[in-house]
Amino acid sequence: MTSWKELLKEKIPAEMGNLIDIYEAQMELRKQGKLDEKVFAEARLRKGVYGQRYDNGQRHDGVRTRELLYPSDEIVKGPDTLWDAPGMQRIKIPYGGLTAEQLEVLSELADEYSDGILHITTRQDIQLHYVHIDDTPDLMRRLAAIGITTQEACGNSVRNITACTLAGVCHDELFDVSPYADAMTQFLLGHDDVQDFGRKFKVAFSGCAGHACGLVKMHDLGLLAQTREIDGETVRGFTVFVGGGLGTVPHQAKVLADFCTEEQLLPLTQAIARVFARLGEKKNRNRARLKFLVAKLGIDEFRQLVQEELEIVPPDPRHTDYIDGVSDFVNAPAKAGMALNGAALPAGFAEWYRSNVYKQVQPGYSTITLNTPLGDFTSEQGFALADIARKYVGDNIRLSVEQNVVLRWVADADLPAIYRDLCAIGLGDANAGTIVDITTCPGTDTCKLGIASSRGLTAELRTRLLERINLLPDAVRDLKIKVSGCFNSCGQHHVADIGFFGNSRRSGNHKMPHFQVVLGGQWQENAGSYGLACGAVPAKCVPDVLEALTERYVAERAEGENFQAWVKELGRKEIKAMLQPFTKLPSFEEKPNYFSDWGDSRVYTIDDIGVGECAGEVVSLFSMEISKAESTHFEALLALDDGDYALADENAYKAMVLAARALVRTKYLDVGDDYNNIVGEFRSRFYDTELIYDRFAKGKFARYLFKRHAEVPARIDQDYAHQIIDETQLFIENVHTAEQRINGVIVG
Amino acid sequence: MTIVPKRLGVKFSLKQSPPLQPADIVPIFQRWIQEHRVEGMLIDVIDYKHVPDGPGIVLIADEADYAYDFGYGEVGLHYVRKRDLPADFAAALKLVFHCAMLGAQALQAEAPDDLVFDYSAVKINFLDRMNYPNEPEVFDEIREGLTAILSDIYGAPAGLSRVHDDRRRLFSVRAEVAAETIDLEDIGARLQESRQRV
Repeated sequence: MTSWKELLKEKIPAEMGNLIDIYEAQMELRKQGKLDEKVFAEARLRKGVYGQRYDNGQRHDGVRTRELLYPSDEIVKGPDTLWDAPGMQRIKIPYGGLTAEQLEVLSELADEYSDGILHITTRQDIQLHYVHIDDTPDLMRRLAAIGITTQEACGNSVRNITACTLAGVCHDELFDVSPYADAMTQFLLGHDDVQDFGRKFKVAFSGCAGHACGLVKMHDLGLLAQTREIDGETVRGFTVFVGGGLGTVPHQAKVLADFCTEEQLLPLTQAIARVFARLGEKKNRNRARLKFLVAKLGIDEFRQLVQEELEIVPPDPRHTDYIDGVSDFVNAPAKAGMALNGAALPAGFAEWYRSNVYKQVQPGYSTITLNTPLGDFTSEQGFALADIARKYVGDNIRLSVEQNVVLRWVADADLPAIYRDLCAIGLGDANAGTIVDITTCPGTDTCKLGIASSRGLTAELRTRLLERINLLPDAVRDLKIKVSGCFNSCGQHHVADIGFFGNSRRSGNHKMPHFQVVLGGQWQENAGSYGLACGAVPAKCVPDVLEALTERYVAERAEGENFQAWVKELGRKEIKAMLQPFTKLPSFEEKPNYFSDWGDSRVYTIDDIGVGECAGEVVSLFSMEISKAESTHFEALLALDDGDYALADENAYKAMVLAARALVRTKYLDVGDDYNNIVGEFRSRFYDTELIYDRFAKGKFARYLFKRHAEVPARIDQDYAHQIIDETQLFIENVHTAEQRINGVIVG
Repeated sequence: MTIVPKRLGVKFSLKQSPPLQPADIVPIFQRWIQEHRVEGMLIDVIDYKHVPDGPGIVLIADEADYAYDFGYGEVGLHYVRKRDLPADFAAALKLVFHCAMLGAQALQAEAPDDLVFDYSAVKINFLDRMNYPNEPEVFDEIREGLTAILSDIYGAPAGLSRVHDDRRRLFSVRAEVAAETIDLEDIGARLQESRQRV
């Protein structure tokens, strides 16, 4: 029987394939207990393989907490995370851009490894849930074969780089930011300078200041398109924002640079990453995001440090190589643009056109948004959507941070036909971007940190609002609602007109699911301001709270007054008073349904909350790097077993170099990938100084590396392969011991 | 010998459109977990009723999922075995068929007048595109063996057809037998015996 690895070997880029092989070897080492569980957890997270609720082997079934007896109950894939427990696979889709073929393969994977559902995240990723870890290497290979990676989708790394879905077709943008988002994605992926963060790092691009676009002000690094006249020429560049973020403690980003040119963009980003890696918090993950470092140092000192770092960033042709390709970046229609031709329009078209269609800056074309409830669509819809894309727009598919699918470059004359086709597959709902198009995180459905059911609440609000959407005044219809299952803001509740985040309160002897009401956040102006927390109400009261709020807003607002201004005018005290009647908690006997969450018949409990993997464990750079050496050594062993002695030698040698590199990078981050450099630096820093010396064997193990580096063996047979693999093992152990002696700590 | 697919699903559809709403199924599946009403290491219930023609309400288990499924506009009970399939294809299919039937019967017991399954037609889903690409040749290859296994299960000849022509879709086979030949007790007994042999 063949395998996906074999079947796709010609289609997978070598580097991507190698990273997946290393991960697969790490899985095997973990199963054998030969790789530390924290190190493996971070390695797994950096592959986008995330834990899910109940993966600690416990679940409250509404009556009692029950043990989930997974078959391989002794093996863990991270602290308190059982191997067999279903998990989530996050798949990076840079700036949300997808081709029809990629959409099809994602749909295939949802069928075969998940539950047939593709979920769009607020970072333009796709997530598949209930995936078994054993399936993840093949899943990754099938993605790699079509140019998608899951590398660094989670963990303490650079997450999916986002950009406005209208980039390239927008009336207000200065220029299309998509090629810059793409270039930065390629540049930072796996880059040495982004491997030693204490926490995740989020980047966004925006083409204009006024709209929501890329939400640059709530990102660790936000890039806002700008142009300047320099020597009579219009030069492209970006205003650079740093230190923004939501989470429990939201921070507005600060301006690091008013203008950086496209030539400066990547080196400046690299310098920011190096400062963050060097000075960012590593022990307390609650204070480890860049926003805390910027707040602690102050923007002026942070700017100074970045400037100093920029001066020593090693030259790299990739800093500017991408610029020549910017103008060739694909942003083109599949069909000629044509105006609507007066043909009969299908029922419902007018409502859909009003809310879901954006007239592009290019005459005769529109961008349409597919209202995707809760960010979910089925694999069947995915296949059908790929057909629709090919028929009308080619590969101009994007995913939005509002968890919708967007099709760009629809010829206007095709709008009625595409609307009909979308209705036929259940994706023709109107009201995209309106109050019914609610953003939500997974919450208690699948997230270990979820406190209340954000998806359950969203589904309920959506159903109720849809029933009366046509009766709602425009001022209410166009409000944004965003829901998070806890205070961590994955649903982006801080930047909604009306936001909710899950918490709980006690009534008598029972816990009751609640949502904190957050009002007046600003979606526009790139998440220009954050909302006010106004009080917690029982989850079951939220629909009534929403109705009370919107009715009062309509009744009291001044002409043209938007929701943020009205909330500000009303004041927190008055809002709290308005919410007060909803905060009186009934007893369990009075209203038992208040003690169950939306969409869940169980009596509510918070006993299922686990330890989140959002940040991953803070694992030292050395631990991550040496684990690559160990898994490559393991690959050598497999090659030996297969009788492929040349490959065994190649992998053993590579493992020794990787081990040496791991040690060198504790002292010299910029050693790079060149074997000669690595071995040279290793020799001068650790061998000549005798730091690597073993108490008894002295420099013997290091000389195994030097010997193999100096000459390729004349004859590679089984005995030789066996020997070099043993020598590699000894050298890796030697490096471990030396690192402990020199640096004191392996796992931070 | 027929390869055992990585995942194998069997779906029985309802005879008529159901008066029960998907939301009504959530408490039923939650109770099944509490009472261990169906076999498997039951984990959680997930609600996809907001997605048209989707998996509906899914009872997630370690080795399998039970879904009150709306795929292709047909409401039914879809059992997907994800792990621990027997190495022999006939044994694997009989296991999955049996679990799906027991799941459907358990659901029918919750609302005997409202949920009536049609056991004379079954959809078999091969969730394994590497070994079972959706191609006519694959259907031709397994047709004879599959017919024999289904005849063994039903005790009557089954007519087979491929569900979709689109090669991107999962390879799926619809099997039908004459409704009057169906004896669920006999089928259950045969399947039980087969599983005990394995």
